Amino acid sequence: MPDWQELVRQRLSGLALDSAETEEVHAELAAHLEESYESLRTKGLPEQAAMQQTLAQVADWQDLRRRIQTARAKENIMNDRVRQIWLPGFVTLVLTTCVLSLNEIFGPKPWILARDGNLPVAVVYIPWLVVLPLVGAMGAYLSWRAGGTKRAILSSIIFPVLPFLASILVALPVSLLFDHFIAHNIAPMSLFLSLPGWVLAPAVALLAGGLPAQFFLSRRLHSRRIAGS
Amino acid sequence: MIGAGIKRGTAELAVLSVLEGGSLHGYEMARRIEQQTKGKLRFTLAALYPMLYRMEQRRWIRGSWETSDSGRRRRCYRLTAAGKKKLSPLRQEWSELFRALRRLKKVAHA
Repeated sequence: MPDWQELVRQRLSGLALDSAETEEVHAELAAHLEESYESLRTKGLPEQAAMQQTLAQVADWQDLRRRIQTARAKENIMNDRVRQIWLPGFVTLVLTTCVLSLNEIFGPKPWILARDGNLPVAVVYIPWLVVLPLVGAMGAYLSWRAGGTKRAILSSIIFPVLPFLASILVALPVSLLFDHFIAHNIAPMSLFLSLPGWVLAPAVALLAGGLPAQFFLSRRLHSRRIAGS
Repeated sequence: MIGAGIKRGTAELAVLSVLEGGSLHGYEMARRIEQQTKGKLRFTLAALYPMLYRMEQRRWIRGSWETSDSGRRRRCYRLTAAGKKKLSPLRQEWSELFRALRRLKKVAHA
């Protein structure tokens, strides 16, 4: 009987994986070939014919090597969660922050809602909110392109408001705790009321672009799958 | 005989379905698929393993080395929670496709 392990090692030489992984692939493919060969021999095929038929399972070893590498190595670089949530989320966060900064530097003054003589309740950057649907759509597209589930796509869309939400959620109890001692420096009510301007409004704007994009992309994928199959 | 394009599309569904019954190694997986589809779906080594590795990367299946009673070491794959979750929408998509094709056939015969 041929040495299948050696045969696979020779034919798949140059497999660009780490040594343990390469050994694992060699062993697995060799075991498969060995079982195929033994099964054919059990059916009564002569040694030579069984060997030929077993090896006929791989028409092009170089192509197989390339496809194994792509399947095992390329997708190792970034796992699904990074590609589907963190990377699109990071891109939308950076874009959101950049657009807000540009709006602050070059844009019109924000719309400020304040009670007479008190701290502002809400600061709304209208041009920023107008651009956010595009950012949301981009987040949805990046996550969808990486094969993200509905939940992953939704996370990517609203990712930019999460730091605002987290800051408010952390600052609010702290301000409530210390407000009694440093009365005029921290205003819990202002923090609470800043939720609509910094969290709810941007989230709605992001979703206004992201959700239609998700709907459109998933429909396109669905019809492409149906048509392409 | 089913054409190559359709086969590619059904391959993942076939693997997930056959693994639903329990963990299997690659050769046994290919053998069962061939047997259960009466030879309509046939996986060669070259077609099977790149797909298994890709599905493993996507965490739909998980492979681990096991030693059989005869002392032979094989890498057996089993369905993960993510794979189980993937199976039902995939089945739905394919049944929608077949329903659509049946409707087309009926229209053609009408």
